Amino acid sequence: MLRYIGRRLLGAIPVLWGVATLVFVIMRLLPGDPAALMLSESGGSAQAIAELRNELGLDESVLIQYGRYLARLAQADLGTSLFTQRPVITTIAEQLPSTIELAIAAMLVAVILGNALGILAAAKQGTWLEGSIMTGAVVGISIPIFWSATLLIWLFALVLGWLPATGQGGFRYLILPALVLGFASAGAITRLVRASLLEVLDQDFVRTARAKGLASRTILFRHALKRAFIPVTSMIGLQFGFLLGGTVVIETIFSRPGIGRLMVNAILWKDLPLVQGVVLLVALVYTLVNLATDVVYAYLDPRIRYG
Amino acid sequence: MHVRSHRIGHLFVFALLLVIMLSACGAPGSAVEGGSLVYGLTLAPSGIDPHIDASSELGIPLTSVYDTLVYQDLDGNFVPGLAERWEASEDGRTYTFYLRRDVRFHDDTPFNAEAVKFNLDRIASPDTRSRKARGMLGTYSHTEIVDDYTVKIQFSEPYAPFLDSLSQVYLGMASPTAVQQWGAEYQMHQVGTGPFIFREYLPNDHLTLVRNPDYDWAPSVYQHDGPAYLDEVIFKFYVDPAVRALALESGEADVMGEVPPIDAARLEENPEFSLIQVPIPGQPLQFFLNTENPPTDDPRVREALLYATDQQAIVDTIFQGYSPPAYGPLSAATMGYSDQVEALYPHDPGQASALLEAAGWVDSDGDGIREDADGLPLALGGYLMSWGYLPEVGQLLQAQLREIGVDLRTELVAFPAAVEAAGQGLHNLAPMTFSGSDPSLLGTTYLSLNADGGFNWSNVRDAELDRLLTQGLTEVDDTARLGLYAAAQRRIMDLSLVLPIRDYENLNATRASVRGLRYDRQGWFPWLYDTYLEE
Repeated sequence: MLRYIGRRLLGAIPVLWGVATLVFVIMRLLPGDPAALMLSESGGSAQAIAELRNELGLDESVLIQYGRYLARLAQADLGTSLFTQRPVITTIAEQLPSTIELAIAAMLVAVILGNALGILAAAKQGTWLEGSIMTGAVVGISIPIFWSATLLIWLFALVLGWLPATGQGGFRYLILPALVLGFASAGAITRLVRASLLEVLDQDFVRTARAKGLASRTILFRHALKRAFIPVTSMIGLQFGFLLGGTVVIETIFSRPGIGRLMVNAILWKDLPLVQGVVLLVALVYTLVNLATDVVYAYLDPRIRYG
Repeated sequence: MHVRSHRIGHLFVFALLLVIMLSACGAPGSAVEGGSLVYGLTLAPSGIDPHIDASSELGIPLTSVYDTLVYQDLDGNFVPGLAERWEASEDGRTYTFYLRRDVRFHDDTPFNAEAVKFNLDRIASPDTRSRKARGMLGTYSHTEIVDDYTVKIQFSEPYAPFLDSLSQVYLGMASPTAVQQWGAEYQMHQVGTGPFIFREYLPNDHLTLVRNPDYDWAPSVYQHDGPAYLDEVIFKFYVDPAVRALALESGEADVMGEVPPIDAARLEENPEFSLIQVPIPGQPLQFFLNTENPPTDDPRVREALLYATDQQAIVDTIFQGYSPPAYGPLSAATMGYSDQVEALYPHDPGQASALLEAAGWVDSDGDGIREDADGLPLALGGYLMSWGYLPEVGQLLQAQLREIGVDLRTELVAFPAAVEAAGQGLHNLAPMTFSGSDPSLLGTTYLSLNADGGFNWSNVRDAELDRLLTQGLTEVDDTARLGLYAAAQRRIMDLSLVLPIRDYENLNATRASVRGLRYDRQGWFPWLYDTYLEE
């Protein structure tokens, strides 16, 4: 197993290089001139814009810029943000904790809620409870989070006054954002857990266990769940990607600092080093999450073993 | 007799108690010391070093951290700040400033001539890559230290907007010791001489200022002396417009800037809140008309657009009547605004139609849109961006122009894409605005040298306009200068280069307990020094 993990980690390097190159190319293809944008608030003259572009090294040939970019990356130097002139790594480090907090909290909400409801729906198959849970799941997937976020802020912060409307800083500030983001993801997990569980419960070994007289609960929790979780684990890994993307909307509405907002702003304003730094970070995180998913896979299903 | 003296005694005691109670509460209007104020900013700026970065949002907190050599009062007059007095040479190339001697930076280093020279040189240095402050210094050449508290500032050419520039936070005086100590990280540890001290800044989250207990050099624009009233001010960032009013109403913020007009109208009705309306000098919300792209290359078409637009209707519908309509290239609050422009293009759809007919645009197939002799429809391409309620303005404008048979096709694009496309001249209409109290900002958008790759999005290259704007920069006589800019505004509208919509008005909502909050001449920046929280 350890060799497998080692191989996977090594394999991440070409992936990251590919991502870095792709980002470099895309950012240069997107419309927008960073120099003009930087001077757009103060209204620089055409000459000032040209000078700034030159100072930022944007006039040089693309290959030279690419070469310099890769050389810096090899030394683990993510460069300096064009707009704030601070090291990219510092900016990311400042904004990351809030996003991690949010992603983990939302993931917990999604996983706990999704699994609990999915198991319940499968166990109570055919009843009204299952029907309402499944309807709730569809609603969760369908509602746009920017709408539900504003609605919940209005309800809990303004009308009831129970929770703060915006900001970060502790558990209380995390409740609404995590609920909004997690609920959307929970719907998808609920549906998959239920379907997967029903399929497993239909199999021969379950019928055998029942014939042997094992209690339903024992069958469910000790035998069926572990197998049902195999596809669910993949799904959770995928949902993590969705969460990372969803954080930008949540961060904007709830006025939380975070990587999502940082990246969107950096893209819009063509802050090339910052975009490249954040995308690389996200790619790295995603690679690690995928690796973790596969390892959990192997634990859950003894048929899967990596050489 | 016995009873009466008792009554008088009771009356006397009652009166005494009343006086004691009243004085304990504080007579209405007298400031209360202490308290923490939460101020809602709208946009997290990029970098926040005023010498380097350009966003007006950074000025909101930093105006309280830095003092400037001169201050501008609300009537546009320049009064002493860190400089007690100053002299300008006849030719306008040399300014001599006599500095206060009692000022210290927040890091306890002295403010003196060395500090002034350090600051100006820092701004002017190409290594600093200043994006706004450098431009505000114009033809600055160098600073000469005459003695510890006297400096001579030299310009290669006379630069008329200098005092206006000097009065803004972008030319605030920073501690040379701190700048040298922190280098690139100085923006996270800023040190000025102002009434508030920069405590900490977490980008996208909050910025905290605390009172400077040693502040003793308040300029005359302020309303009291000594330290500020508030203990601390915490700035938070609220990007989503829908959330701003919510945050104020739920008590999370005490002051909220740029409240949407609909929320502002509602808050104004509520006695728990106050609305502070501040006109912003500079250019109005406007669309530049591209003179190089058909059909707006025809002046008759451009004039028709101006006659067809009903600015008052736009202001009433979208801005709830909060802004004055704009009729010229400068907003009414700007120094040098000429009201001549107001009568030039009254709302007159009949006149607009007549102009289009004369230009050869007739609706031959009855579809409501005019065509030319070749059957080409009168279609205009316009960019819209998501700020300034442009999408809504665009919709209303579309409807108004349709009435005279013009098909305005709008495209909502992200700001960077719009800047790039407009810079290439692909548009007929493109919106853009620059704010500032000095009319020299007209140069950014109307000088011919800014037509390719700059912000001259009407692509005008008019020798007369160039002359007026260039001379305006160097003209030392105030009256003559105002005359030049009045002529420039007239020329811009005669050439029909721009379609003005409305003057910017910053709508700030506060809790009613926030008192003494005023905004400076630039309109965006609050003077928090006199602000206090009523109990």
